[in-house]
Amino acid sequence: MRIDTIRAAGGKPAHIRHDDLISVKGVSVVYARQLVLQNIDLSVPKGFFVSLIGPSGCGKSTLLKVLAGLEQPTSGSVSIDGLSPVEAARKRMIGVVFQDANLLPWKNAVDNASMLLSIADKSLSRAELRARGQEMLELVGLGDAAHKRPNELSGGMRQRVAIARALALDPAVLLMDEPFGALDAITRDSMGQSLLEIWQRTGKTIVLVTHSIDEAIHLSRHVHALGIKPGRITGSIDIDLPYPRDLAVTEDPEFVRLVVQLRTMLRAGHQPGDAS
Amino acid sequence: MSDQTITSEPRLASSLAAATSSWLPAVILLVGTIVAWEAIVRIFAISPFIIPAPSEIGRSLVAQWGTLMQATLVTAAEILLGFVVSVVVGVAIALVIVRFDWLGRALYPLVVLFQNVPKVALAPIFILWFGYGLAPKIGLILVIAFFPVTLSMLAGMQSVDRSLLSLMNSVGASRTQILFRIRVPHSLPNLMAGTKIAATLSVIGAIVGEFAGASDGLGYVIQFASTQLDTALVFAALLLVSVLGIAFYYAAEILERIVVPWAPKFSHA
Repeated sequence: MRIDTIRAAGGKPAHIRHDDLISVKGVSVVYARQLVLQNIDLSVPKGFFVSLIGPSGCGKSTLLKVLAGLEQPTSGSVSIDGLSPVEAARKRMIGVVFQDANLLPWKNAVDNASMLLSIADKSLSRAELRARGQEMLELVGLGDAAHKRPNELSGGMRQRVAIARALALDPAVLLMDEPFGALDAITRDSMGQSLLEIWQRTGKTIVLVTHSIDEAIHLSRHVHALGIKPGRITGSIDIDLPYPRDLAVTEDPEFVRLVVQLRTMLRAGHQPGDAS
Repeated sequence: MSDQTITSEPRLASSLAAATSSWLPAVILLVGTIVAWEAIVRIFAISPFIIPAPSEIGRSLVAQWGTLMQATLVTAAEILLGFVVSVVVGVAIALVIVRFDWLGRALYPLVVLFQNVPKVALAPIFILWFGYGLAPKIGLILVIAFFPVTLSMLAGMQSVDRSLLSLMNSVGASRTQILFRIRVPHSLPNLMAGTKIAATLSVIGAIVGEFAGASDGLGYVIQFASTQLDTALVFAALLLVSVLGIAFYYAAEILERIVVPWAPKFSHA
């Protein structure tokens, strides 16, 4: 609820022109004469949780960087609420979380959480930044760790601060590149569950890059499978399991069926495709 | 919730015990060496002109206490000033190299090239230029000690994670913002390691400067006493130089703990 009030005050366009918040059309990326991504078409409806899954080298991280405006496509177009990714990022519409939390070791959790916001919005006072950081830490379940430095936090907690830092910008889209990839399996499950709760409370659109089939199906509404050589989308599936989901969903027969379907799709994508 | 706070607060008593047990072997070796030294000099009746016994050095230290303290103060002032100037200049060069691409590309190779000049050999020239006072010593310390400061800070500033820079760029951070809010604080642990090296080199710079030409200071005492064949006094002055070196090194280490309490600590034990 609190998030909604803040967004209204943020002065962002209240009306959305398309149902799709993110729309990728015919994007290809060429690196050193290598076709990293080939003719990607992708749309992400507003408020959806979407995962990109694929083997190493399929270009899923590159695709996420293209969405974040950190990488320019060689051809094709990307629109985020009608804006280019770079424009959208400047308007604080994009929050990014990487595999490494990349917190500043000399700042405590609350200052880390508000660090990007302090650069994006220079009009905010120290107290306002602190308040915002604290609010975001509470959202990710770290309200009482505000004064801890990163070296006093576990890997999972550091990643929560990284998520709080991205959310502090109040972005429309949260782009996450294997955010739980470095965590142990148990922490990973609880982080996924927390992320689902955060998603449902904030209504953000989330694009998650992962290489975990279970994680993709557990969390997402749509999963897009990517293949290698060249990186391309080889298939997409809708996950019709009802929200809210918890870990029990992984024992659902439908879940198991989807795992098999996705695994088959990924295996097909592992064979090099026709690059023409 | 599987994540939990990592707490590491060793109890005082056990950390004290750990400190004692880590220092004890070094203390035993030191005392043993002094005793053996005294014994060997006495048993073999070695001339005090060659190697004075520790007791002889102690006597000289007491007898010349006033002169030695005065010389120590002079040398300490040179070291301190030279060290501060080296750190300031070293940091400034590193900042310029990182902030201004073009200037950096011009400056960096020259700095590295200059590092290969045997700087001790510059001492006589500095005496020629700046006289016998404080200035040539500061100059010599500067040319000897700024390099590790610059190099360590550069390494720190350039080792910032790429994805952190991506995050900064995504919210439109300027180069100056990235420099002062990310690169500089990120470089502090490296910089502090560099200043510890600079502290040690500053002591060497001061003594070499005094060897080349001085009318005061511990380096001058060492040179003067050796021409008088007062080897005990040479050793007494040498002892004080060592004490100064250790004092400056630990001062730099304390500075490190104050500046970067968040940095990982490395144990020497």
